[in-house]
Amino acid sequence: MALLRYSPELDPVTNLIALQGDLERFLRNPGYGLGVSGSGGFPPVNIFDAGDGIAVIAEVPGIDPNSISVSGQGHTLTIKGERRRETSTDAAGYHRRERSFGEFSRSIQLPEQLDLDKATATYEAGILTVKVSKAEAAKPRQIAVKSA
Amino acid sequence: MTEQEIATKEKQQVQGQEKTRAGRFFLPDVDIEELSDSLKLRADMPGVKQNDVEVTLNNGILTIVGTVSSESYRKLQPLYTEYNVGNYFRQFELNEDIDAQRINASMRDGVLELTLPKSERARPRRIEVNAR
Repeated sequence: MALLRYSPELDPVTNLIALQGDLERFLRNPGYGLGVSGSGGFPPVNIFDAGDGIAVIAEVPGIDPNSISVSGQGHTLTIKGERRRETSTDAAGYHRRERSFGEFSRSIQLPEQLDLDKATATYEAGILTVKVSKAEAAKPRQIAVKSA
Repeated sequence: MTEQEIATKEKQQVQGQEKTRAGRFFLPDVDIEELSDSLKLRADMPGVKQNDVEVTLNNGILTIVGTVSSESYRKLQPLYTEYNVGNYFRQFELNEDIDAQRINASMRDGVLELTLPKSERARPRRIEVNAR
């Protein structure tokens, strides 16, 4: 399904356009059901099924990774942090000021049974990616059928 | 819960000028600060790495292009999204006298920082007043 669209044989432009279409389709997907708090708050998050778990991706450029706190409790994943404005000494003023700064906090209810012990969070090029794997109990398992 | 101080906005798509590259282009948020000897421009382009930024100055027009890749999304299936991803594009007409040779650009954590030094002519100069 989705895996076929982003195939390495296709050129990166086609893959990017396919990705953009997918992201658009799931915009504020009401079918997702469980709560994403602070919707419309910063940072906007995208939630993906990663096969063996869930990936939450947020764009938070220009942040000190040490100021980000990613915590989990039960089904809830919380991302908190602060974006600080860089200050230049000797600045006379701004011609434009479009970037926003301040503290942020978002909580996400994740649908599956997730094992937060196996969660990882990485920050690269301004993108925070949190991956949480399914708990063992939630993984599909094969049950052998024995003949009586 | 923490007070939400920081606002979020929808990414603005580039209107008007058609690109030869397909795919949506978004306008990066930009801060432009005036210092006594330069302008400092900072643009938010999350997902763009240092090698994927192009900054050009041509006939007084400063052009910033940042490209992102869909590679990291290959094994992911969207469930719920609040933002789209895409390349970044923005242009500015520089009306200050900028010394093009000394423009400095650096990229870190998805933020492009440009230092645009003012040429000698444009710097504020203190003129000494003598007694007559």
